Amino acid sequence: MPDPSTLSALRSLVAARFPTATRKHGGAVPTGVAGLDAALGGGLPAGRLTELVSAAASSGGQLVLARLLITTRAARQRIALVDGADGFAPEAVPADALRHLVWVRARNLAEALAAADVLVRDGNYAAVVIDLRGIAQRVLRRTPASEWHRLHRAAESRPAAVLVQTVFPLVPAVPWRLALRVPQGLERRRQPQGRLAAELVVETVRGHMRAEEMTG
Amino acid sequence: MNYAVLMIPNFALHALRRSEPALAGRAVALTAGEGRKAVLTEVSPEVLPVSPGCAVTLAMARCPGIVLRVREPGAEVEAQRILLAAAFTLSPRVEATAAGCCTVDLQGADASRTEAEMRLRVAELARLGLPVRAGAGPTPLLAAYAARGGEAVTIVRNPVEFLRPLPLAVAEPSATQSGILHGWGIKTLGDLTALSKADVGQRLGASGVALWERAAGETTRVLRMIEPPTTFVAQWAYDPPVETMEPLVFKLRRFAERIAFELRAAGFVAEALTLTLLLEDESDHRREFRLPEPGADVDSWLRVLQTHLDTVRTASPVAGVRLTAMPARPLAKQDGLFDTGLADPQAFWENLARLGAVVGDDRVGTPVMADTHRPDTFVLERPAEAVPAPEPPPLHPLRGPVLRRFRPSWPLRVTVEQTRPVEVSGPLAGVPAGVAGPWRVSGEWWRPGAWEVETWHVEMPDGGVYQLARTAAGWSVEGILD
Repeated sequence: MPDPSTLSALRSLVAARFPTATRKHGGAVPTGVAGLDAALGGGLPAGRLTELVSAAASSGGQLVLARLLITTRAARQRIALVDGADGFAPEAVPADALRHLVWVRARNLAEALAAADVLVRDGNYAAVVIDLRGIAQRVLRRTPASEWHRLHRAAESRPAAVLVQTVFPLVPAVPWRLALRVPQGLERRRQPQGRLAAELVVETVRGHMRAEEMTG
Repeated sequence: MNYAVLMIPNFALHALRRSEPALAGRAVALTAGEGRKAVLTEVSPEVLPVSPGCAVTLAMARCPGIVLRVREPGAEVEAQRILLAAAFTLSPRVEATAAGCCTVDLQGADASRTEAEMRLRVAELARLGLPVRAGAGPTPLLAAYAARGGEAVTIVRNPVEFLRPLPLAVAEPSATQSGILHGWGIKTLGDLTALSKADVGQRLGASGVALWERAAGETTRVLRMIEPPTTFVAQWAYDPPVETMEPLVFKLRRFAERIAFELRAAGFVAEALTLTLLLEDESDHRREFRLPEPGADVDSWLRVLQTHLDTVRTASPVAGVRLTAMPARPLAKQDGLFDTGLADPQAFWENLARLGAVVGDDRVGTPVMADTHRPDTFVLERPAEAVPAPEPPPLHPLRGPVLRRFRPSWPLRVTVEQTRPVEVSGPLAGVPAGVAGPWRVSGEWWRPGAWEVETWHVEMPDGGVYQLARTAAGWSVEGILD
């Protein structure tokens, strides 16, 4: 195990020599889901990909999206949704929480990745959500790693926080991977969504970057 | 058409001619090899009756005025970057396939608009001295075949009809295969694919099957995408060094054309230019120009550069020149006091158009619920220029998990007891652990298109809560409550 002080010195040296390679990204985009924001150190990191795995059915992935829409609407930020399986239901969120949204209804994975590539590079969005739930797993598993590498690279120099929603761990070399594993159940259908979001159990599967490294 | 190929025939020769004004209109040929073994590799149309592969001595005898040159890597880099910039205007997914050839992934793009864009790019590149040919088709291979045709732009609309008359050589058979197939009387791709693939495989083996697949246009592959350029620099070394302004200005014009083309393709303009003259005595002369108005207009850049060069006197000849453009987003806008507008309106609207090309114009936009209680009824509108101030939160907050729809909904068989679903089968199967409902909505009963839906929520053994709908057409799963 290397000495932490040596690692720290090495990081400083690399940052000094290659300032663009270790560019710090400003800010984070809060999702409005307490467990998720706490795990991420404040919200979705700008200029990075974050993967949210809905490992169980009805575990709250769509609730996270709805809360993110409401939170970014309140902050008057623009958000894009690349809907890989065309599953977003606009009637399930308040009408006012849609006014800052650009919804891309893809028909397949190729369209979704092509649209994501355009949106991540745009520079006008605070967050880009790439929802790949509902796409067949065999199709997702055939995605070349280079596609993800390209998306990582595109995100690095842009201000948008990128949230990838999946049902199994998919994105290679992702800085943050979080998982939702607890089904919400039918008995919670009468609870306000704010309370449901506050009680959502979020597991950090991977989060090797320190918060201060991302938020600079 | 899912893919396009942009190809410059005789790429090395055209790149060289573009970089040297003295070669315009002259009979030029590129050579490879030395001494008696030197042969021509590429020849300009003026070099008749000489063709590639001809020995240099023979070419000089047949065409007395011929100019013989070797390939110029610097000129090829410049030409390749122009070609790639043109490709990036068609799609962000571009592969640099080979020197003078790139493949573009157009999947989802609007065919008529892309074809018009391709024709524009071909004309633009021709004006820049690069006669490009473009082809588009359902696979990268078919697009490449189309680009090798005689037309400036060829679109493969019917692959079978397109492939049938093409000569066999297009599918690149080996010398052995060519000999065998010639003996069989097979001259075109159509002749070959008229034979069954299995029979060809039996006689020619795996390589024969691969040839048959190429002839049928069945071969496909994954593109190796490249990133668009992020720096806009051009550099040239003069050998021998120059002492007059004319070659400098010519080269700067070529640089400016390429850089301006790349900037426009990436949605940028230049806000500053940096000119560096590399002198023979290893010193340099460097000057930065802040442009009065950021833009990508070659003539205005050259006016600035030439005005400066008129006044420059250097201690020794110029051995090289470098031009760097500092990119900036055009029309960058500051947020207003009361609205949150777009940081970069041009990129926003441009990218919306690109998204429309990928998924269709009717599948991208801001959703607005229609004035009806009918489920899943909305329209997609053009996004607002500025995000308006939020309205107060609703008095009755939404409750429960959020619906994610399955479009189209999954048909389902449901066993009902005392009007409640007790068992489901089909894509969702099992005995629900819990059931809630029904919620009934109906509308437009005064019209022929009256509708009525009964909605149920069922919790399945895996913990998933699904929304079932019962309509006149039967039961279906509308989505999952997530």
